[in-house]
Amino acid sequence: MLRVDRRLLKNVDWPLLGAAFAIVLLGLVCLSSLGLGRGGSGLAWRQLMWVGVGAMALLAVVTFDYRSLVRAAPALYLLGVGLLVTVFVLGRTVSGARRWIHLGPLTFQPSELFKVIFILTLAWALTWRRAPQQTSRGTLGWIIALIAVPFALVVRQPDLGTALVLLPVLGAVLLGVGVRLRILGALAAAGVALMPLAWLALKPYQRDRLFVYLDPFRDPLGAAYNVIQAKIAIGSGQLLGKGISGATQSRLAFLPERHTDFIFAVFAETWGFVGCLVLILAYGVLIVRGFEIAVGTREARGRIIALGVTALFAAQTLINLGMVTGLLPVVGIPLPLMSYGGSSMVVSFMALGLLLSVRMRQFQ
Amino acid sequence: MDLAGESTARREAWRRRVLSLAAAVAVAFVGLLGQLWYLQVLEGGKLQELSEKNRIRIRPVAAPRGILFDRNGLALVDNRPAFTLSLIPREMDDRDTVLARLSVLLKIPMRELEEALERVPPESFRPVRVRRGLTLEEVTKVEERKLELPGVVVEVEPQRVYPTSTFAAHLLGYVREVSDEQMKQGRYRRGDMIGQSGLERMLDEYLRGRDGGERIEVDALGRPVQVMRREEPDPGAQVITTVDRRIQEAAERAMAGRAGAVVVMDPRNGDVLALTSSPAFALDRLTGNLEKEDWLKVVRDPLTPLMNRALQSQYAPGSVFKVIVAAAGLQEGSLTPMDRTYCNGEFHLGRWTFKDWKEGGHGHVDTRAALVQSCNIFFYQSGLKVGPAAIARYALDFGLGAPTGVDLGGERPGLVPFLDGRRRGDGRGWQAGDTVNMSIGQGQLLVTPMQVARMMAAVANGGVLWRPRLVQRVERVDGTFAYSSSSKMTGRVDLSPVVWAFLRQALSGVVNEGGTGAAARIPGVDVAGKTGTAQTVAKSSSAKGQDHAWFASFAPAHDAEVVVVVLVERGGKGGQVAAPIARQVYQAIFLEKVAMVSLGGDG
Repeated sequence: MLRVDRRLLKNVDWPLLGAAFAIVLLGLVCLSSLGLGRGGSGLAWRQLMWVGVGAMALLAVVTFDYRSLVRAAPALYLLGVGLLVTVFVLGRTVSGARRWIHLGPLTFQPSELFKVIFILTLAWALTWRRAPQQTSRGTLGWIIALIAVPFALVVRQPDLGTALVLLPVLGAVLLGVGVRLRILGALAAAGVALMPLAWLALKPYQRDRLFVYLDPFRDPLGAAYNVIQAKIAIGSGQLLGKGISGATQSRLAFLPERHTDFIFAVFAETWGFVGCLVLILAYGVLIVRGFEIAVGTREARGRIIALGVTALFAAQTLINLGMVTGLLPVVGIPLPLMSYGGSSMVVSFMALGLLLSVRMRQFQ
Repeated sequence: MDLAGESTARREAWRRRVLSLAAAVAVAFVGLLGQLWYLQVLEGGKLQELSEKNRIRIRPVAAPRGILFDRNGLALVDNRPAFTLSLIPREMDDRDTVLARLSVLLKIPMRELEEALERVPPESFRPVRVRRGLTLEEVTKVEERKLELPGVVVEVEPQRVYPTSTFAAHLLGYVREVSDEQMKQGRYRRGDMIGQSGLERMLDEYLRGRDGGERIEVDALGRPVQVMRREEPDPGAQVITTVDRRIQEAAERAMAGRAGAVVVMDPRNGDVLALTSSPAFALDRLTGNLEKEDWLKVVRDPLTPLMNRALQSQYAPGSVFKVIVAAAGLQEGSLTPMDRTYCNGEFHLGRWTFKDWKEGGHGHVDTRAALVQSCNIFFYQSGLKVGPAAIARYALDFGLGAPTGVDLGGERPGLVPFLDGRRRGDGRGWQAGDTVNMSIGQGQLLVTPMQVARMMAAVANGGVLWRPRLVQRVERVDGTFAYSSSSKMTGRVDLSPVVWAFLRQALSGVVNEGGTGAAARIPGVDVAGKTGTAQTVAKSSSAKGQDHAWFASFAPAHDAEVVVVVLVERGGKGGQVAAPIARQVYQAIFLEKVAMVSLGGDG
């Protein structure tokens, strides 16, 4: 199984991989700076371990032909839904949300894994009747049904962040395969119309939490404070940043999530606008390469995977950065490849693996 | 799939769509860069300055907890402003010095302060409450030395205040800061005050409200420069209970110095008018600052003041249970009002001898007289005639052996033995002696005072079992209802009207015709009731093995408005101990009627 074709190796997308590892490296530096003055940088080491696990996951995904993964999509889908259900049975509740499963000393977040499964499922569902160009209304309805179940489970956790990321991925893929904007608009309207139903299913304190998501100022002690402090941290970095030792604003005090969802604030304070340009450039390279792979692929399943993965990275990056810089309300979405967290890191690498796999087999 | 067959036009369309998506992403990234440029370059200097002396302080504004009212609109509990001492870890530059000063100043053990800080991250910006209910003197001390105490703040917060220290303690329950254990549920914030028992706990979600907060900018000395934003708290919702404060007070007065419980219920709808368990715990002390030693003292008290004896303790019903034996026998026909027996004080079954409570016996008794005088011998014989299966079935019908479903937690179900029609509660085979014991409410039978109240209510109202109701409604500040409940029937005992009338008449005789409950007699009010004396087994030498005293009653006998059940633990005879307590409660309830009679009115 591990016999990798020589020709495949020639087609490894080095810019893509380079950009990804550059981002990972910047993230590790950021995490270790958070450890300064707090006795060690355990976070960075643990993150490095996850990077290792992620790299192995990437290799594992690459060795498979993505087409066989798409063929396995129904099974993976059932596995993913099963895991999401398991969260409700065995899951651990952290600050009101059940998102994690315990595996010995590790915790694992099935909703993260589902992002990849989601893309594979889309590729499978859109091509299993052979002609993706002819996406009839029936196919569309059946895809929506397929996705509604896990989506509802994720929302119920509640993991609004993951749910919010899956939507643009779905939208991008459907647009890509040629579903008309008009139909997508109608679907979106229907989704909005169904929201009150979901609302009824939530407990009062969960509703409160959602309110805070939508309007951070409802919780003046929590999310809004984070946003203000994040803004101050980012802004005080100015053009060139304060350097690792000078970035007191983020290292001291504020956010409980500074190593996870708000890590960009730490980075921006440390390296300033110039540093941010470099980081965003790296994300840009990654995303542009992703789109190029999508354009250059002729095989239907590969196209959908490439577009889906690219949309996933773009959506996560944009929503996270938008939230940290105060452009968007606060939702729990990690910055891919940079935020601290095992599940997110490994899953990001798996997604990259899919992209690389499509690229390497583009001309077969 | 034949990929070569894909048309150029299709490939071009795909390319176009992907590129337009890419363009959308690019636009978003440009917007992001614009925001970064704005924050870091245009606003950078200002924000840099802010970060230098960034001392934004968050001041929580606690929501006033909802108030509980009685059925007539009298407050059962209220709030008053109180001073809270808090520490802001982030602003305490020299923590040990500050803590040491504070410890000396207010005589708070250093350990207590350190423990409070250990639970939060060392750079937390949120105030950590360390002590509530500071005196004015203490507040002055802190304010005077404010400069030496960076990071120490005094906040004003609403706090519970109670009419008296122990008033309706089990009903209301106490309020304390959320514990480490409760924090794990993830729905509270550290420092939240939440209901820990009674209605405060059951209705906590409604009562708590939502805290607001202020974001204020302070200078280096901690003086507020400006309020940047203020979010008003949402006050908690108000609770209108079914309790009558006057009756509750009377019941507590009557029980003073005793261990036991009183339940007062309206038999017409199941409303609980009073519910007291004695001894009670001191609400105000459990709600305020409590040293560990004091807490342990409450928990380890052999009289278990935290336990709500009205629902969480189970007792043998004693002779109160004769009402059920009589109801079963009369309805099933195995007993008639005309049955007579001669009671000489002893009853022989095989080689066992069962005694009456009265030396020498009651002489000739019929069914009514047996109830009125609580003759054991008559009921030993009747019990064997009626049979254990029928007795157990009627006991279950009257709601014994199952929780009543009252709006308070921790209710015990009691026990009606004769499981599956042949076993005792402990699983051993059923003997005739067990039937004899059960006939007078002894043996393995267990009931709670709340169950007895519901059972007596059924006797009084002709068979309706109500779910005891404690909460009428929960009203939000804007007047809308967050919760409301109506009376709920949970069962019905079908007896012939003749049987009901007989029972009520006999129970009236218990009080008014020189029966065992004569001590509950009140001129002007026709009280009907049944006494009970539950033998206890002296398990240890400390428990003296005195009997539990019961008096289960209702009034007026033929058109009952109220049920009063009294239980006195190890009090002695029901007629001598429990009945007079019930009498005091009735006097408070029927104040006007009683006064009219004593003034010579026509009642």
